[in-house]
Amino acid sequence: MDLVRQTLLRTLIPAAILVAIAILVMRYGQPYQIRVGYVFFINLTMVVGLQIFMGNSGTASFGHAAFSGIAAYTVAILMTPLMLKRTLIPDAPFNLDQVVLGPIPSIILALLVTGVVAYVVGLAISRLKGVGAEIGTLAFLVIVHVVFTNWIELFRGPRAFYGIPIISNLWWGLGASIIAVFVAKLFRDSKYGVQLRASSDNMLAAKAMGVPVDRLRLIAWTLSGIVVGAGGVLLATNLGTIAPTSFYFNQTFLMMAMLLLGGMRSVSGAVCGTIVIALGSEITRTLESGPVLLGIDFPEMFGLTGFFLGAVIVLVMAFRREGILAGEEFEDIWDDMTRRLRRDKAPAAALDER
Amino acid sequence: MEYVIQQAINALSVGGEYALLALGLAIVFSIMNLVNFAHGELITLGGYAMFFAAATFVGNPVLLLPICVLTAVVAAMLFERIAFRPVRNAPATTGLLTAFGVSIVIQNALVIFVATRPKPVPVPSWMQGTMSFGGFNLPVVQILETGATVCAVAGLVLLLTRTNLGLAMRAAAKDFTVVRLMGIQANRVILGAFAVSGFLAGLAAVFILARRGAVDPLMGFTPVLKAFVACVLGGFGSLLGAAAGGLVLGILEVVLQATLPSDVAGFRDAIVFLLVGAALIWRPTGLLGTRAELGDKE
Amino acid sequence: MLSLSDVSVNYGVIQAVRGVSLNVEEGEIVALLGPNGAGKTSLVSSVVGIVPVSGGRVTFKGEDITRVPVEGIVARGLTLTPEGRRVFAGLSVAENLRLGAATRKDPVATERDLNTYLDMFPILKERYHQTASTLSGGEQQMLAIARALMSAPTMLMLDEPSLGLAPRIVDRIFELMLEMKKSGLTMLVVEQNASEALAFSDRAYVLASGSVVYEGAAKDLAASDQLMEAYLGTGVA
Ligand SMILES: Nc1ncnc2c1ncn2[C@@H]1O[C@H](COP(=O)(O)OP(=O)(O)OP(=O)(O)O)[C@@H](O)[C@H]1O
Ligand SMILES: [Mg+2]
Repeated sequence: MDLVRQTLLRTLIPAAILVAIAILVMRYGQPYQIRVGYVFFINLTMVVGLQIFMGNSGTASFGHAAFSGIAAYTVAILMTPLMLKRTLIPDAPFNLDQVVLGPIPSIILALLVTGVVAYVVGLAISRLKGVGAEIGTLAFLVIVHVVFTNWIELFRGPRAFYGIPIISNLWWGLGASIIAVFVAKLFRDSKYGVQLRASSDNMLAAKAMGVPVDRLRLIAWTLSGIVVGAGGVLLATNLGTIAPTSFYFNQTFLMMAMLLLGGMRSVSGAVCGTIVIALGSEITRTLESGPVLLGIDFPEMFGLTGFFLGAVIVLVMAFRREGILAGEEFEDIWDDMTRRLRRDKAPAAALDER
Repeated sequence: MEYVIQQAINALSVGGEYALLALGLAIVFSIMNLVNFAHGELITLGGYAMFFAAATFVGNPVLLLPICVLTAVVAAMLFERIAFRPVRNAPATTGLLTAFGVSIVIQNALVIFVATRPKPVPVPSWMQGTMSFGGFNLPVVQILETGATVCAVAGLVLLLTRTNLGLAMRAAAKDFTVVRLMGIQANRVILGAFAVSGFLAGLAAVFILARRGAVDPLMGFTPVLKAFVACVLGGFGSLLGAAAGGLVLGILEVVLQATLPSDVAGFRDAIVFLLVGAALIWRPTGLLGTRAELGDKE
Repeated sequence: MLSLSDVSVNYGVIQAVRGVSLNVEEGEIVALLGPNGAGKTSLVSSVVGIVPVSGGRVTFKGEDITRVPVEGIVARGLTLTPEGRRVFAGLSVAENLRLGAATRKDPVATERDLNTYLDMFPILKERYHQTASTLSGGEQQMLAIARALMSAPTMLMLDEPSLGLAPRIVDRIFELMLEMKKSGLTMLVVEQNASEALAFSDRAYVLASGSVVYEGAAKDLAASDQLMEAYLGTGVA
């Protein structure tokens, strides 16, 4: 339990930053900013979730957006009022059109379903190595997307699923993000996390030393899928409307850019990258709509945000492969700084004494 | 009978297309451990080159075909020079993510500067007809594609066994350092590999566009995803595996297409991937892949 | 011909070579000896540019090649047969040899050299179309040497050519090296097999923990049991 207490302590700095952001947004924000703030916390939860797998295993995953979709659709199907469901998905299998659950059981079931799917998929993914696993995650994303868009009786196909009760707000997002950060840090510093990170440097050597690499990857994958699923729950219960495209490529490369920019090796990197990209994409989104700035009338430029996200990934990989924080956690940086300050002060203090 | 023959040539042409793309991926991967996620954008760029050429100065659609191939070759070499050289000796994941970024940049640049909507690409009308072959009516595109694949693979084999560049590419896949110790320039070998992969992608693009008749910014994604899967199925990095994986995937797809009841036909790709996934659980290193040993090149 | 001054090689914090200065004159065979981990491989690898030189200068035929990439150094006539042979296993003997000569522009001379080396290493002629992976260790070593020679170097560095080979084959390889010396090739030979190597070398350097601890005429070193014992632990018991 020592680890839990330590991790709680180590979560304090990121939690303080997030609380500050939330208070700032709620206090001074217009509805638009509040919505942006909410989306920020959704993305943060997902990116931190993605970090659990990518950061510890060193394997890229293009498939995690699918987990947010699975959780979101599960919540949507379980929670949407019966009357609406009869028009949305009248032919749902397993009589799902006649069942409705409260928010809490829905959410718990959604995370459970996501976890089970993640576990089963993980059994396959964790067996593949390196590039094969990465392409496996991509194939998983596509499979889930194909199922969403083609299983019309259950998911309404490509059309939006609307009318999901809106029950969550910014504070939920804040809470979920903080829990996500805590879970990610706990895993990172746990025995599993440490072994997995060591094995990602040299998988064969770790295997030879008896580290159960496949099993650790499976654990990280499943846990990370559930956390990303929590982000999907937030999305569904705040927007009230979801569609298969919300959980496909755009979300994948948004999450990827956020994680890589901050540095996938640390949880703080995930937080940091998410903040920077969230701010940056507000700017590009303004530019996209063709604003008049400094007397210049900019043309509309759809695709600008995507362009920048792609460019961020390429540039980070070329010039700062480890991301902004280079695998450090906020606390490590904080400790370093205070130690350096103390060392600077020490000689001065010695002089005073004389 | 005619139906069976038609489906067979269909399977060969689809499989051939995947094999061309998978071979391009595998050549680059075997030499520099890079999974070129942006391989699909070579197809897309080839398509846009055809669109622009047709809209501006090229009247004869036949001339558009070499333009497509050439554009893909040049684009592949530019990708290498600009984006991939800085991450050349990095771990495979870094290269993969870089290529992923390149792919997003290209897609969105096309959205910004051209349009999201598909643009028409004229192809010679004779490519779209059918021809009678031994008494059976078969689509010209499919016959050409099958033929072109066979020729391209034969050409590739010649290149890899008869030329110094080809030998160097094969050797570099095993031990790049020693290739350089022979005085052979690393840049040339790598650029050569990209040129070859661009050529194969451009060739596939010609036929993809002949089928679709239009180009849009995202069109490269699906074919190259199939090529990825083909590579994994065959064993990543093995050229023979890539070709075999592509062929198997194409055949599987056509068989499913022909046999699936119409209400689950939409799930075809999902089913194909699941089957491939199952095959990989049984053989995680792919059909022709080998198990990595401690100390092997990753 | 080749001259190193104060060359260091670092791998991160590990210092494998610490300020080594060394000279090889034209037409010489120089032995580079030392225990495991002394930094011999690191040193010769840094000379050809496979690993970066962290400090000091390397000159070849009077030209500074410290920062020249591998390809450029080989083009200037200096090459290396790396430790562990590293023949291209999937390629045939013929293809291996052809790659060795890949950058040469003179087909006639290349053909002549090929015939010379095939005569010198008859086993390669016998196995000409066989895949290199099917060769025995000794045969692979001969292939590696012949492959390096095919680039027509003026100086060849050999990293442990005798590693893992039976004494009879080792003798044969050393004999061949003397033959090559006669045809004007300059050589730097890394060896564990100290007494054998000294027998056909002109001069020797002994490396220990990354530094040169002895340099001198090969026969002086070989003649002195004390020196052999002190530096190489191979004195006559
Ligand atoms: N790539 C590397 N990364 C880190 N350390 C290395 C690397 N290569 C060699 N070393 C270290 O540098 C030192 C010198 O190694 P080197 O291979 O040059 O020795 P050597 O004299 O050739 O030994 P041997 O006779 O066993 O071949 C060793 O301590 C080795 O562990
Ligand atoms: Mg050595």
